[in-house]
Amino acid sequence: MIALKVMGISLIMGGCGGWGLAGARRLDKRVEVIRDLRMALGFLEKEITTMFTPLSLALERTAAFCEYPVAGLFMTSSAVLQGKQGATIREAWPEGLAYLLNHSALRPEDLKVLQNVGGQLGMSNASEQKKVFALLQEELKLQEEKARAQATANRKLWSYGGFVLGAVVVILLL
Amino acid sequence: MGAEAKDLVLKEISPYLPAISRGLIEAQSEEFLARVEEIRLRCGQPLMLKLGDEDWTVTANGQPSRSLHLGYRVSEEDIYRSIASISDNSLYAFEEDIRRGFITIPGGHRVGLAGSVDSEGDRVRTIKYFSGLCFRVAREVPGAATGILGEIYAAGGGGLVNTLLISPPRCGKTTILRDLARQISSGKGHPAQNVVLVDERSELAGCFRGIPQLEVGAQTDVLDACPKAIGMMMAIRALSPRVIICDEIGRQEDYSALRECINAGVRVICSIHASSDEDLRRRPVIRELLGGGAFRLGVVLNRSRGPGTVKEIIRWEVS
Repeated sequence: MIALKVMGISLIMGGCGGWGLAGARRLDKRVEVIRDLRMALGFLEKEITTMFTPLSLALERTAAFCEYPVAGLFMTSSAVLQGKQGATIREAWPEGLAYLLNHSALRPEDLKVLQNVGGQLGMSNASEQKKVFALLQEELKLQEEKARAQATANRKLWSYGGFVLGAVVVILLL
Repeated sequence: MGAEAKDLVLKEISPYLPAISRGLIEAQSEEFLARVEEIRLRCGQPLMLKLGDEDWTVTANGQPSRSLHLGYRVSEEDIYRSIASISDNSLYAFEEDIRRGFITIPGGHRVGLAGSVDSEGDRVRTIKYFSGLCFRVAREVPGAATGILGEIYAAGGGGLVNTLLISPPRCGKTTILRDLARQISSGKGHPAQNVVLVDERSELAGCFRGIPQLEVGAQTDVLDACPKAIGMMMAIRALSPRVIICDEIGRQEDYSALRECINAGVRVICSIHASSDEDLRRRPVIRELLGGGAFRLGVVLNRSRGPGTVKEIIRWEVS
């Protein structure tokens, strides 16, 4: 009987603790993804404003440059542009963003600026494009700082919180 | 011929049209499409097609109509989709073309752009907020210049002479100049010659990314999008042409470059906007050039029997 209780306590403590640690990891991951996103957008900017690479190819190259899950944003958008005659970036970009949202720790508010400005990608001259990228970088930097502050503030809460919650559940059950 | 001309519209232009307009145009008959010279999309206005001198539209049911108010109205979204398609969603890659007011698509067809022009002094920076597109169908007419070429050789006693094509707009001078380049550089009936086409407006050779999309002959070099005066001098220095062909001379620097070419022993064939010899002689610089014997032959064109009709051949004697 005692062995069973010990096993139950371990399971509850392990489950709740793991859940808390995963939450803390998600906070850090969010910051990492935003940082990767900024780097990838920097690469895309160079492809557009310096190399004048056609947008579908520029997106594909950017996907090859960065890592999962950020690569998915660019790969999905590029695939939509290349796969359908007459497809526009206004249609392709939201599909890429949907992929990123579903496969990363990002929150909808992190992608707001990308949603607003994304439709302008490619559809103006190089100097206007630079402005678009400058805006994106600036907004994402703010978002990254916000995410980092939230991670710092909540990391311990999530890390210990899971175990505390597990302990509370165990006490209640006992 | 009809099927080929129809294919030109369906295969080379239609993919760049927004879906609705594309459907409406693809529903038209072979005879109708074979005569299309221009397709115009204007924001909030009916879809327009120019067939010779006639303006047509297509109703939302796909019926061709000359009552323009019945035509399918082009939306802002249609214009956006079309320009996105033409530029592959990459307007930044076409900055120079946009500054010049048009983009050339594969096949050599030109898409004229209308919209909000952003300029700085006398220089266009870009066009944004596009409001209208004009697709001009580039058609080759092999043999269009055969008669004129005969006159050029006859006037030169078997050799080429400096020739001026005199024509109001839309009388076929570009088509004839292109065919002259093709025939002279391919040596049809005469020895083939090195030809340089100075194609300032990308109309003669219809270059897409520098490569001619229209047949301009085996020994023709094309200076695409190059100002005529600069191009003529570049050609003399670097490409050793026997003949230089260019379209629509008119600026002071063009005349100076022409003189240089002629003095260098290069034959020049070019076009100028005018409707007669009298019109032409009202321009002091041209009068001076003709007086100095720069040109030996003038060919006046009009549209009385369709584009490219030769109205008059003028032989200017050397004084």
